[in-house]
Amino acid sequence: MNIVPQLILNSIIAGSIIAFLAVSFNLIYGATRFFNMAHGTVAIFGGYIAFFFFKTLGWNMYLSAILGILAAGLLGYIFDRIIYLPLRKRKASGMIMLVASIGVFTALQSLIQIFFTSEFQTLSDISVHDRLYTIFGATITQTQIYILIMAFIVAICLIIFLKYTIFGKAVKAISDDEEVAKIVGINTNKIIGLLFFIGSGIAAIGGIAVGFDTGLNPTMGMKLLLHGISAAIIGGVGSVYGAFIGAFVLTFVANFSIFWIPGEWQEAVAFVLLIIFLIFRPRGIIKR
Amino acid sequence: MFSIYAILGVSLNLVVGYTGLVSVTQAAFYGIGAYATALIAKTAGFGFFSSMLIGAIVAGLIGLLIGLVLSKFRDDYYVIVTVGFNIIAYGIFMNWHSLTRGPLGIVAVPRPKIDLFGLHLDFNNNLLFLALVLVFLALIYFLARFIAKSSFGRVLKAIREDEKAIQVFGYNAFYFKLAIFVISAGMAAVAGSFFASYLRFTSPNTFVLMESILILSMIILGGLANLKGSLLGAFILVLLPELMRFVGFPNEIAAEMRQIVYGVILVLLMIFRPSGIMGEYKL
Repeated sequence: MNIVPQLILNSIIAGSIIAFLAVSFNLIYGATRFFNMAHGTVAIFGGYIAFFFFKTLGWNMYLSAILGILAAGLLGYIFDRIIYLPLRKRKASGMIMLVASIGVFTALQSLIQIFFTSEFQTLSDISVHDRLYTIFGATITQTQIYILIMAFIVAICLIIFLKYTIFGKAVKAISDDEEVAKIVGINTNKIIGLLFFIGSGIAAIGGIAVGFDTGLNPTMGMKLLLHGISAAIIGGVGSVYGAFIGAFVLTFVANFSIFWIPGEWQEAVAFVLLIIFLIFRPRGIIKR
Repeated sequence: MFSIYAILGVSLNLVVGYTGLVSVTQAAFYGIGAYATALIAKTAGFGFFSSMLIGAIVAGLIGLLIGLVLSKFRDDYYVIVTVGFNIIAYGIFMNWHSLTRGPLGIVAVPRPKIDLFGLHLDFNNNLLFLALVLVFLALIYFLARFIAKSSFGRVLKAIREDEKAIQVFGYNAFYFKLAIFVISAGMAAVAGSFFASYLRFTSPNTFVLMESILILSMIILGGLANLKGSLLGAFILVLLPELMRFVGFPNEIAAEMRQIVYGVILVLLMIFRPSGIMGEYKL
């Protein structure tokens, strides 16, 4: 049996999930130069909220997903307001912000563990069978197709949004120079707060997608984030296209490495790829 | 446990506090030490102390390799690469079944024995074991203090403050950073040896990323670039869960509650007192 088509498909699916993380991480990092270590766990939080409404309360699936996205966005916004904004105002160094976000990550992950246990929870409904499609000998489920379409919609919307709205221009101004942006009258704190909301929301789409695809687990947030960051760095920090391309490069390499290296080592492979990129091409495929 | 964490704290403070490199991979070396000791003592039949020495050397060598890679990076990227190493180390402990027995871990790790000048000390007794660990903590503490006070330590501080300037004076920052990283890895491995023989058991779940974050919290709480601070930080954070049990938190969620407290402590420290209780340097 030829497994290459299936591998390609798997890479594309995994790539689009990672892309949500990578794009949203890039959005926040690009504007604030803040390495948010809690980002992945916020994404997972969104997945869990969707899980709560959908599975525990039995609400409509789409409504639950939207609620999950909004909840994660709100959480990101709140963290920005009460923790990161005061730190930014005090001109705290990047390391201080980073360690603070590690603290947020630790606390949030444990909170999720308390409320939803450390077991795997899956969002997909076992009673209702996913429809399977076959393309060139590879199978794909309906949910996976949705994930794929969502990834492209989000990417296109984001690119248009950042390019053609005043908000997008303000974001660009802030990422070029926050001080100057402030001087010309941009309310930087408000824009960055909004950016946290949007970024965390997009990340939550990734979290929910994981919930539907493989299932959720509290410690997964950090893994997702590491992949997201790797993808963002490989693709080019601060660029939406780059994060997207990086995500696919990463998952293709990791998936195809199973020809030579057993599957358990995929994490290590993804990480080695990151190191190679950091050493030889630290600004990624698409330079900004 | 306090002494073991204190050793880890002191070793990490050399890297983070004195040299200003935020490393989140200390649990990996801790684990390497524990596994190396357990494996060598069990399979090769070496005594505890020689196993410990080999464990420290192995960790130092691996630290050298990792340090070589890390020397390419700074700040944010440095942290993310150390996080990645911790996750890879965990993956190795978990997946290299033929060596580490995966999630089952290694059982029946021997306790140390001393047979010297007709003196028979068998450290099966927990009190004696504590004494032994304390002796080693003292050794490592004074070694670390010696390093910190020596000209070597002054160069490290200078690297932390301004790497370019110290290079202008002709010091090769690269070697200094690498050396301190290796020393710190070896010290963490000693803590790992004691951990393995104290519980007589090692399993991958002790050496997760959270553990590295815990060690980092300890030294930040106690104060960076202050070795006494590391002792204090380890003391507080090891004692805290016991206190929380005393206050009456339900046991099922104790582990999670503890981590929440660690996380909140880190955030509050960063906002209100980034230099910790008695720190001489803030990030």
